Amino acid sequence: MDTVSLSTFISERLPELWLRTGEHLMLTGCSSGAAMFIGIPLGILVFRKSWLRNPAMGAIGILQTIPSLAMLAFLLALLHRIGALPAIIALTLYALLPIVRNTLTGLEGVSPQVMEAAKGIGMTHGQRLRMVRIPLAVPVIVAGIRTAAVVGVGIATLSAFIGAGGLGQFINRGLALSSTRLILLGAIPAALLALVIDFMIGAFEWGLRPERKLGNKGPVQAMIRLTARIMPILLILAGMFVYFIGPCAQNRMTSPQAKTGKVIIGTKNFTEQLILGELMAQIIEGQTGLTVERRFNFGGTMICHGALANGEIDLYAEYTGTGLTAILKAPVISDPEKALHYVRKAYHERFNARWLQPFGFNNTYAITVRKDDAVQQQWHTISDLEDTAFQLRVGFTAEFAERPDGYPGLSRVYDLQFLEIKDLDPAIMYQAIANREVDLICAFATDGRIAAYDLTPLDDDRGFFPPYQAAPVVREQCLTAHPEVGDALSLLGGILDNTTMQRLNFEVDGKKKSPADVARRFLKAKLKTGDTHRQRPPAK
Amino acid sequence: MIRLINVSKSFDKGNSHAVRDLSLRVEQGETLVLLGSSGCGKTTTLKMINRLIEPTAGTIEVGGEDITKQDPVELRRQIGYVFQGIGLFPHMTVEQNVELVPRILGWSIKRRKERAHELLQLVGLPPKEFASRFPDELSGGQQQRVGVARALAADPAYLLMDEPFGALDALSRETLQQELLALKEQLKKTIVFVTHDIFEALLLGDRIAILHQGKLEQIGTEREILSAPATPFVRDLFAKPARQLANFQGIV
Repeated sequence: MDTVSLSTFISERLPELWLRTGEHLMLTGCSSGAAMFIGIPLGILVFRKSWLRNPAMGAIGILQTIPSLAMLAFLLALLHRIGALPAIIALTLYALLPIVRNTLTGLEGVSPQVMEAAKGIGMTHGQRLRMVRIPLAVPVIVAGIRTAAVVGVGIATLSAFIGAGGLGQFINRGLALSSTRLILLGAIPAALLALVIDFMIGAFEWGLRPERKLGNKGPVQAMIRLTARIMPILLILAGMFVYFIGPCAQNRMTSPQAKTGKVIIGTKNFTEQLILGELMAQIIEGQTGLTVERRFNFGGTMICHGALANGEIDLYAEYTGTGLTAILKAPVISDPEKALHYVRKAYHERFNARWLQPFGFNNTYAITVRKDDAVQQQWHTISDLEDTAFQLRVGFTAEFAERPDGYPGLSRVYDLQFLEIKDLDPAIMYQAIANREVDLICAFATDGRIAAYDLTPLDDDRGFFPPYQAAPVVREQCLTAHPEVGDALSLLGGILDNTTMQRLNFEVDGKKKSPADVARRFLKAKLKTGDTHRQRPPAK
Repeated sequence: MIRLINVSKSFDKGNSHAVRDLSLRVEQGETLVLLGSSGCGKTTTLKMINRLIEPTAGTIEVGGEDITKQDPVELRRQIGYVFQGIGLFPHMTVEQNVELVPRILGWSIKRRKERAHELLQLVGLPPKEFASRFPDELSGGQQQRVGVARALAADPAYLLMDEPFGALDALSRETLQQELLALKEQLKKTIVFVTHDIFEALLLGDRIAILHQGKLEQIGTEREILSAPATPFVRDLFAKPARQLANFQGIV
């Protein structure tokens, strides 16, 4: 379904690929370096102080078991900032285990006979460690660094979730837009990078090995050996070159200058968020003289919210139900007006952020059936199902099946008992109902596939599902500094109903158009301002 | 001079003794061989002399001074040690192995290099060919020569040798024994040499101390021991090879 050819697709993104590779090398390099500086001395310390061994290795082992995203989210909350720093810290923590463990194993693995000889000829404790034990442990230690660096390249792809860039950016965007090409554009270079780094450190280790007097010893051999030894330096230089001098570096180096007149917009990592992000970005660009920086694709609500609360981004689109339950941990309020009022007040007091006027749609759960069934059976509301529910096969996402505002609550409020309930992945849920494998699903109200698969959402006539109205959430500071941002965003108030949002989502999900294009076309039609990027004088 | 006075060593809090109540004296310039089968306590005795193992009881004097009053590192640097398993450092070249003790004693690079080459020459490994090799590029006999050179590097007054030729084939062993014999005359070191090989003991020892189950059975010159074995154990120990030798001569 992708419209452009593969070569165009790649050549268009080559400059960005260059930049992301540089960022990726920087993230991996800094974290592996830091982990070496901490890990090797720590390994030696743990070796010398045996009482430290179990607690230290235990603690480092536990760090390793923390899921990467949880670690990133935790560091974000702790450091109050997004970007490279929390990513590097997280990667460093992950790299510690292989390095410390290999240092310890390497030191312990030195033959006791050799160590006794070192003691017997009169070497002090420090000399034995420095001149005998550590040099003999080097191959094992380097192997640990090698593992850490290769694993680091993999984990670094997740840093894109907190705005640290890297090749994960492509993967992230590809996942949000379900574009295999984009995912591969990040995944293949990342895999190649891992192979290259693995090879380089391996070559370095080989270069360090004592040179045998016997055997091949020509000038070619000597050259290869020298190259292998300076491999790590080459690697670091390559990374620095790409990062600082590469074609895209200029953008990054100069961007801080424009800081004064800049608004930073974030999004979560799914289609609707990307479209809303583009809508807000384009309307601000069109209506004000401000520059917009897009930091899209954060890996989830908490990361987006954290970035907003810490001033790393100025605004993003949030849903009232999510703000209420996930962020404020408040009980569900089913009245949309009351819910909006509650989050508005709480955000103002607690986060110094303002909820602007909602876009108009309500992206809640929607109990959805095939249109032909609805017509035939005269189903309009969920209550209409009561008599036939026991004959229906239903497909729910695993989350919906468990959440209190999902099936458990639904069956209580509407007194529904279904024939059979299947746990389905969201991606195949729509397919399943279209193929008549199930008769009813829990869709998201604004999902483009509702229209595409000819489905009908039923009215929640008893008001069970909490409202999930989307609205721009903006830092007060940003609104005070640039009141025109609020004015511009108010133009988006109420312009998207559920059907429209469904259509826009489908343009991206189904027809594989870019969120930016979809947003531009929509704004053009709606406001006739879509493509006027800062061509008009700023309107106050 | 090395002196052991009522030295005992137990590794299990006194239930059994690796060395029990051992007293002996090694005179200046003398080679004393500690002879015994495995587990008789001869290696333990050797290691106690340079404080790789601390005795449970008794006193050891090196150069007339109680070794517990001396810094162990300083003590070991005055005593050359040739290890049973050779114990060369696999990450260092032959030259680096030999010059290690001078290096930690702070000799100049030039002086220790000269010394290393001189010693390699002495033990029959021409430095030109061998100095830059690694231990695993040498045969067992060559490795052991490097071990001897390393022990001699800082010209220590004392030399402890723990079955240095035990792992070698009969021919290399014979050669090295002859070379050590010549070296011994030349260097005039005080040597304690551990072996389980009676012929080696007879060849190299000025005096021989026979150990059995941690106890000293007899100490004396070759003549004294052969003419007047102090215990039945000593008599049997020497009778057996004599018998073998007689058989061998009978065949020839």
